[in-house]
Amino acid sequence: MSELKETLKAQIIEQLNLENLTVADIKDDQPLFGDELGLDSIDALEFIVLLEQNYGLKISNPSEGKDIFHSVNTLAAFIEKNKN
Amino acid sequence: MSIVTSCKLNASSLIINNQLIHTISGDTIDWKRELYNFYSKDYPKFHKMDPLAKMAFLGILGIEKTTDLSVYDDNEVSMIFANKTSSYKSDSNHFENYTKKNLISPSDFVYTLPNILTGELAIYLKWYGENCFYILEKFDLDFYIEQIEIAFSKGKKACLCGWVESSDKSEDLIIFIIENQNNKINKEEIYSYFK
Amino acid sequence: MKDVFITYGSLVTPLGSSVQENLDALKTNVSGVKVVSNSGFKGENWPLAKIDTITENRFSTLLLNSLIELKSNFDNAILQSEKTLFIISTTKADIENFPEDTFSVINEVLYSELGIKNKPIIVSNACISGVLAINLAADYIRLEKFIDVIVVGIDVVSEFVINGFQSLFALSDEIARPFDKTRKGISLGEGVGIVLLSSNKRNSNFHAKYINGSSSNDANHISGPSRTGEGLVRSINETLKRSNIEKNTINFISAHGTGTLYNDEMESIAFQRTELNTIPMNSLKGYFGHTLGAAGVIETIVSMLSMEHNILFQSLGFSEVGTTEKLNLIEKNEFHEINCVLKTASGFGGGNASLILVKEVK
Repeated sequence: MSELKETLKAQIIEQLNLENLTVADIKDDQPLFGDELGLDSIDALEFIVLLEQNYGLKISNPSEGKDIFHSVNTLAAFIEKNKN
Repeated sequence: MSIVTSCKLNASSLIINNQLIHTISGDTIDWKRELYNFYSKDYPKFHKMDPLAKMAFLGILGIEKTTDLSVYDDNEVSMIFANKTSSYKSDSNHFENYTKKNLISPSDFVYTLPNILTGELAIYLKWYGENCFYILEKFDLDFYIEQIEIAFSKGKKACLCGWVESSDKSEDLIIFIIENQNNKINKEEIYSYFK
Repeated sequence: MKDVFITYGSLVTPLGSSVQENLDALKTNVSGVKVVSNSGFKGENWPLAKIDTITENRFSTLLLNSLIELKSNFDNAILQSEKTLFIISTTKADIENFPEDTFSVINEVLYSELGIKNKPIIVSNACISGVLAINLAADYIRLEKFIDVIVVGIDVVSEFVINGFQSLFALSDEIARPFDKTRKGISLGEGVGIVLLSSNKRNSNFHAKYINGSSSNDANHISGPSRTGEGLVRSINETLKRSNIEKNTINFISAHGTGTLYNDEMESIAFQRTELNTIPMNSLKGYFGHTLGAAGVIETIVSMLSMEHNILFQSLGFSEVGTTEKLNLIEKNEFHEINCVLKTASGFGGGNASLILVKEVK
């Protein structure tokens, strides 16, 4: 699980072009859409692309994403739960 | 009426007020990133921008080296931007995504409008004023002069003009601010400045 | 300040190939939006307002089709005059043929088909392009640079744009329902609207007087509408100020109303803040879909039809209030004397624009 979380952080930085951050800057339980990371509504949609591209997981309604994208922890839990 | 400040940049140099300020080494993957580091500015949104918006933003940082833009009220400056190939690079990204990568990306698509760059500048400068993006065959000083005349006739204090191009062939930016002095436009001065 | 008159040039949409045909269709409240099977990125059947008769080279064909009515309205003395300018409003032009040059076809067609004399100006500023182009046309006439300025608003439905709006989850799986409680997003559309602005009254039965216009940026987000409607409020207030008219002289507002949750909500807040929310209003996106760079021009033409025929057209797709601030959306066609119209537009890049027209009595 912790390996997954580190991979996720790297993918988030890559997908959302957060070049000013490193994996160490993102904490597992940090709210991704709080003020600190400065993510916005387009980033939320990019998470949907990230999950589909890298994990084959589909989210058809952006409003479902709200809880899933809360933090790296919730993202990792969603991936664990839904992988094959 | 005078040209207050201008900034030109491309993959090899940064020129402010017709003076070479910085030569870009080209050692990095992207010259725009190198220039961003040169300014030592912390603006994380920069990394999300497409090439057009990145160049326009770097041009503004160049202008800010010698000019205090905060002297203007938030609606006093008109932005007049143009290029030939619109958002070609972002168009290519979006096109490749769905034709080759079986992917559609919202952040890539959003930049397939050239006026996103004036939106980015408006956000950075907190300017609510008028702005417009035009597609022209080439950089045409007379076109900008006409637009400036129109803006001044409405009482605008200044115009921020730009030509920004990012194609497979080259990346170039010219950005300049012209201040309104009694609604008169000294064309000769502008022509000679750009000679 | 010099008077500027505006009159019809041409209108080609899924509802008809002329201003008259579109008027007839609008009177019956039919929608040009239809389900197009397999139009989505993953084979979705999106409702789109496409012109059925065009099968290839959509952009150049559409542009050519629109010139037929234009030529019947104005003779070469105007079209080919050195004192006539063409301004084109488009977001993606001939994007179907990308990566070929997507904009050069515009000049090719205008020079060869009409024999125009001046290099056209292309405005490409997302969904507010049409209103900006009309405002610019009036500016050119007022500064006496040209006598006549012809504004062509045009965009086509393309795979490129469908995929893009799909990636934003902005497309509706039913015909767009602007401002309605059940709205789900936009329906993309295509079309051309052409208007002529002039310091003279040109060979037409109907003219409106262009009073004034303006634009303002939200300075907030590159794609999300401002939560406070700040840019739209500023543009409306500036247009009113420049027009020097009282709010209560406006009889009708042609809103942008895309049908997305956030855009329509933003507009409702802006109209409430400017105290214009009781004035009869519609969005035409339920008829034409969202025609992007053409929308501002097409909707201005329909505003002129509303003035000429004193008809308030139903805001198609609206039935129940779905915004925080209640608006006076037109629920069925009504005959009503209309003398003064406010047209607004908002778009990506944070842009907002508006203009005011007044009926010119013959």
